[in-house]
This record gives sequence, structure tokens and C-alpha cells, in this order.
Amino acid sequence: MESRALDIPGVFRLGETCRKPDQSFPLNLGREGVHEICEARHGDMAAMTGFALAAARPPAGAIFWIRQFGLAREHGDLLHAGLPSLTHCPAGLLSVQTRKASDALWASEEAISSGAVGLVIAEIETLDFTSSRRLTLAASRHGIPLILLLPWRREGTSAATARWRIASRPSGPNAFDARAPGASRWQAVLEKSRQAPQMAGRVFNIELDHETLSLRVVSGLAAHAPSPRAAPADIGLSQDTPRRKTG
Amino acid sequence: MRVAAANASARTLGISAGLGFTDARARCPDLLHEDIDREADRAALERIGDWMVRLSPIVAIDGDDGLMIETTGCDHLHGGEEAMMETVADLLEKNAIPHRLGLASTPGAASALARDWPGHILADGKEASDLAELPISALRLSEEAETLLKRFGLRRIGQLYGIDRKALGRRFQSRAAGDAVLLRLDQALGLRREPLTPLKEAPSHITRLPCPEPLLATEGVQSGLEQLADELCMKLTGLGQGARAFAFHAFRADGEVSSVSVTLARPVRTPKHILRLFSEKLDQIDPGFGIDLLMLEARRTGPMDISAPALSGDLAASDTDPVLLSALADRITAKLGEGTVKVTEAHESHLPEQAERKAGFDGELPAPAIAPPDHGPRPIRLIDPPEEIKVLAEVPDGPPLRFIWRRVPHAVTRADGPERLAPEWWTWTAPPPPSASPEGIDRKWLKPKLDPRADAALIAKIRAELEAADPGEPVSNLPRARDYYRIEDEEGRRFWLFRQGLYEDGRGGAPLWFMHGLFA
Repeated sequence: MESRALDIPGVFRLGETCRKPDQSFPLNLGREGVHEICEARHGDMAAMTGFALAAARPPAGAIFWIRQFGLAREHGDLLHAGLPSLTHCPAGLLSVQTRKASDALWASEEAISSGAVGLVIAEIETLDFTSSRRLTLAASRHGIPLILLLPWRREGTSAATARWRIASRPSGPNAFDARAPGASRWQAVLEKSRQAPQMAGRVFNIELDHETLSLRVVSGLAAHAPSPRAAPADIGLSQDTPRRKTG
Repeated sequence: MRVAAANASARTLGISAGLGFTDARARCPDLLHEDIDREADRAALERIGDWMVRLSPIVAIDGDDGLMIETTGCDHLHGGEEAMMETVADLLEKNAIPHRLGLASTPGAASALARDWPGHILADGKEASDLAELPISALRLSEEAETLLKRFGLRRIGQLYGIDRKALGRRFQSRAAGDAVLLRLDQALGLRREPLTPLKEAPSHITRLPCPEPLLATEGVQSGLEQLADELCMKLTGLGQGARAFAFHAFRADGEVSSVSVTLARPVRTPKHILRLFSEKLDQIDPGFGIDLLMLEARRTGPMDISAPALSGDLAASDTDPVLLSALADRITAKLGEGTVKVTEAHESHLPEQAERKAGFDGELPAPAIAPPDHGPRPIRLIDPPEEIKVLAEVPDGPPLRFIWRRVPHAVTRADGPERLAPEWWTWTAPPPPSASPEGIDRKWLKPKLDPRADAALIAKIRAELEAADPGEPVSNLPRARDYYRIEDEEGRRFWLFRQGLYEDGRGGAPLWFMHGLFA
């Protein structure tokens, strides 16, 4: 992948010959190849979406967002007003919704090979090894990165460049109000990596700086969980007999 | 019962439309008969009409049993008017469709010829003299009008020419009936216009490829399409135009036509792109017993904006190439259906679910909306419509402490808010006031006199409901304000939820809580 220019005979690009695989976090996520991002547990889809957008380099072209119908119902639709707090404004965002996973994969491959967009993001239920290999080949041939957002059930073999598993972590301290949520924090586990196999299994606790829109790795100690907001001890909330509920 | 239609052998026995069924049976005791099915007849007529598009783009239905083909500008393609008539007769003859043809410069005259002087071609300007000897039944009049005119002794069209128009109108029961006769007469003579309503909207450009040897395989269709696309694109290039929709028809010799069409995001005239879009759909074309004519139509044409691409990527105005992007959208639309590729457009609204709307991609990326900085943080994922949740919160306006969403309880560790979004009263329209009577009270079977004992329990329940509804407190349907909170739970997940309304805001009962979004 790092020697893409050398694959084409007769083409020599300055600066590409001596390029080394990028060892720094987040390992070319959103720059090249196919990266799978999976939920750690059900309900981490929003955290995944945020991590994918924040960690990927702002693409040079439009973003092509493909989603499978069921997942959009389950986890909600993308809200464009929420984008500026995660990433620099993309040149454009086209979205496609499909019913079948095979259609979503087909659309992803078409988008990669069209050369019209800068980044492809696909939310799908699952994919098999053959499709992942096919997409990886297409992504490396055309130089357009693909990010797959997958539910927590995703396991098994894959030909993707890397697989990340993302969980929400309690947010950083809020400088203005101790009782309010602060900077978003996530736990990212690099489960597999073809670029840096020695880093597989590493756990990163990361924080998004909403001002500079940059990620930084925080120590595990800082990412402790705060205690719940004080509620009067004698009230509980149960589904059957809420004693004081509004609504 | 009357005879609605009769075939040729029945007509030789003197059985024709309008004859009483018993009379017909009397003339021919073993007469085969069937109930007329106008719907099926109409469908069959439309199918023949679709097939006749091979001759001219404008084909219309005429009455119950006729087709009207506009030949203006088409007859030379078939070698003149007479040759075209022969072509039509030949096509219908081969498929054993009984037919009578007439050709004239007005629809009314052509229809009259087809009904009472089949096979005749009327020269321009000779309508009045040539139609004079035809019976008035050729004029497509209503049955009553025809009977009345016959009663006056007016049997031929020529007899109507010299008649006093006002006097004729007075003979009929209503003025409209008299006018209808005159309208039909004038239309036949070309004194009044008769616009045709074509079965299909006429395309902007057509290319045709007759096949001397009927095509039986898809390969032949493919190469025919390539030839047609080249020709059509050449034509469009000459006009400086592109088209946003293409339709490909394969006419079979046995009276069927199979068609496929593609739509595009922006005007296009590149044969390669058109062929690629059609390639997914060509297997839908059924060659049957052989295709003898291929046709490619261009619809929704428009000027192409041609701008030279920047030589260097650094000099380009933007990073996206609209042509490439449209080509991608076209391919996905061709496979997954129209309107699959969407862009999000900004709308003026405070409510987050209405501020962004999905619209079909039409070749232009909308300008990125610069969000006004006057609102609080917005989530990355929006749950639309908002889902109702059970919440434990401080009364009257504290943030939630615990809540249950999708049957999972969450304990709140941190909260931020509220951010109030006032209702948009200017877009709000009052719903109808709720009816005072409970559901079902107007049903007849509820009336006690029918069976007082059987419905006693239900009546008592409804009465209780009526009494329970307190008339002193007006139940208002005014929209309620939303107070949004940003919430983080014990597991570090961040939610966006809102309380709809306030306690004692006079707009309904206790406020409800809703889940509306997920923060990253």
C-alpha cells in the first residue's frame, strides 16, 4: 500500500518512494485502505461516528455516506448541525440509503472506483471476508479510503487494513461547570492492523478537543468514571411503579 | 341487452352494434357472445398504442375503439402518406388485428374516414366536399344526438353544412347537446382545433434503428443501442444540449414493446456513460420472437454547461468534480431506484428535525450551510421522530436524574442545560377541537332502545368517561416549548433529550420527555 506509485510501471512520484508506514495514531484512518470501526457494546454507534469523523483527515472531496436502512432506524440519522463540533466542514455530503447489505457494499465499491469523492463511509450490518478483500483492493487501487461502521456483532476474519473497537468513556472535565459533560472521550481498541501488526491489541483512551478538533491520548487514570448525580436515596425509577416520574 | 360490437362474420348476417340481443339471437340462434369488458379493451388499445409509437411519437386514444396517430413530419420516414398507410396496415395484418384506416389533415375527418370510408386518404382542403356524402354517424356524436338528427331527416354530413346553426341548437333539449354536434362538425372540417392527448409525452429527440433481420439475442440489442446512442449524442452535440432522461424501446414484430429508461442528475451527452447506465437494465428486454425496431429517446433536454477543467488540481475551484459526482449518482440511481442519492438542504427552522431536509441530488452540491453560532451543541445523530422516555427529574424544571429509554435504565452522571426551543407559532395551525362525545357514541347499536341490557356496561363506561372529562379546565392543543438537556450516563454515553412543555403552562397536562439525539 505504501508503494502504490511503484505498482504502476513507468510512473514515478516524487516523495512516494521513501514513504514509511505511518506509525502514529490513528494509523492512516481515513487516509487510505479500509478501516472497520465496530461498537464495543450496543449503543456505541454515536461514539463510533464521532471517532470516525474526528480521526479521519478531512477529505479533499465530498464524503459519500452509505447506510443500511435498519441501522438508520436503530441509531438515528446523521445531523449535519453536529458535524462542525467533530470535523472541519466537508466539501459536501451525499447520502445513500439501501435496504440490502449487498446493495450497500456495491454502492461503496462504485463510490470508491468513481474517483468523485474523497472519503466513503458505510454503515452496514456485516460483510464477509470476500467483500472485505474486494473493497480493500478497490480502495488501494483508487486511493480512496473507506470507513465501515459496524455493529457490536462484528467479529471474525477480515481483509481490512485495520479494525477498531470503540466504546464511550465518561467525558473530560468541563472547565465552566463541573456538573456538565466536557470534552468527548472514547476508548479505542486496535484489534487488528495490517500496517502495524505489533500495535494490535493496544488500547487508547482518547479525548476530542472541541476547539482545535484534534484527538489526543489521555492516560487511563484521567478517564475514570464520575459518580452519578445525587438523587434522593428513597426514590427509584422502575418501569412498573415510578413513584415520581414526569411524563 | 344490446350488441356492443360485432365481428365481420356477424356483420354479414346483419348483426351490428346497437341491435337488441334478442333480435340478434333471432337472426342467428347459435350466436357466440360474451359480456363486453371495456377495461380490458382499453388496456389492449393502450398496448397497441404503445406499440404504434414506433411510427410516430404522438399516439392518442380515440373513443372506445380507435387510435389516432399524428403523422406530421413522420410520413417521409416511411416513404410518403400512402406508404405509411400500407406500413400500418401491414403491421396490423401480420398480427391479425382487424383494422380500418383513414388519413386526413384533421383528427375528426380521419376518424370519420376510418369509420365509414376505410382506406381513403383525404387531400388537404377537401374535407368539406369529400365528407359530404358520409353518414352523420361518422362524426363521433352521442347516440341521442344521432337519433334526433335522423328524425329531422339529416342523414349525411353534407346536409349539416348549410343549416342555420342557431335553429339547430334550438331543436335539442339543451344548448350543450346542440353545441356538441356543431363542435364535432367544425373539428372534422378543421374550423376548430382538436388537440390530441398523447399516451406518452413526446420526447425531445428520437433515433430509430429498423432491423431488416429481427433481433433474437441481447448482443444484437447491445450493439444496436451503441449505434443509437452515438447517433443521438451526435445530434445533441450539434444542438449544444444534453438530456437528463433516456428511454430505450425495443419493438417486437408481434405487437409488444419492451422499454427501459434511465434518469440522470445533470444533462449528459456521452454515449459511454449512457451505455453503462443501460447495461444493468438491458437484460429486462425480452426479444420474444424477434425485435424489428429499436428506438432511443432523449427527454428533459437542457443546455450543457461546459467548462474546461483546471489543468492542475491545485487551481481547481473546489475539490469535487460535479461531472464525476453526477456520473456516480447516475449509476447508483440506475441500480437502486430514483431518488436514492440524497443531499441535505438547510431550511429555516429552529426545530432540529425540520432544519435539515433530504432532497434528491440534482448535480449540484448545496452550499455548506454555515450554522449560526447562537445555538448550543448539536448531536451527531438525530432520532427522528423523538422517542418518548420515562424520566425521573426534579420538579419543575430540573435536569433528569434517571431515565428509561428502549427499556434500558440509565443513571445520569452529568447534565447540561436547558436550552429552550420555543414553538414556531407562525407555522402552527390549529387542529380541530376534540369532539365532546367519546368514540363510538354515534353508532346506532349503542342506542339503548335496541337492547338495553347488552350494552348497559358500555353505556355506563362511556357515561363515566363523559363525566370524568372536566369541562372546567380547557384542554389546549397549543404547541409546547422544548427544553433540551445534554446528558451523560454512567457508561459515558451522551444523549440529547428534551422536556416538552412546562408544569402549569396551560397547554396540556404534565410535560412529556423525549429522546432526540446522541452525542459522539
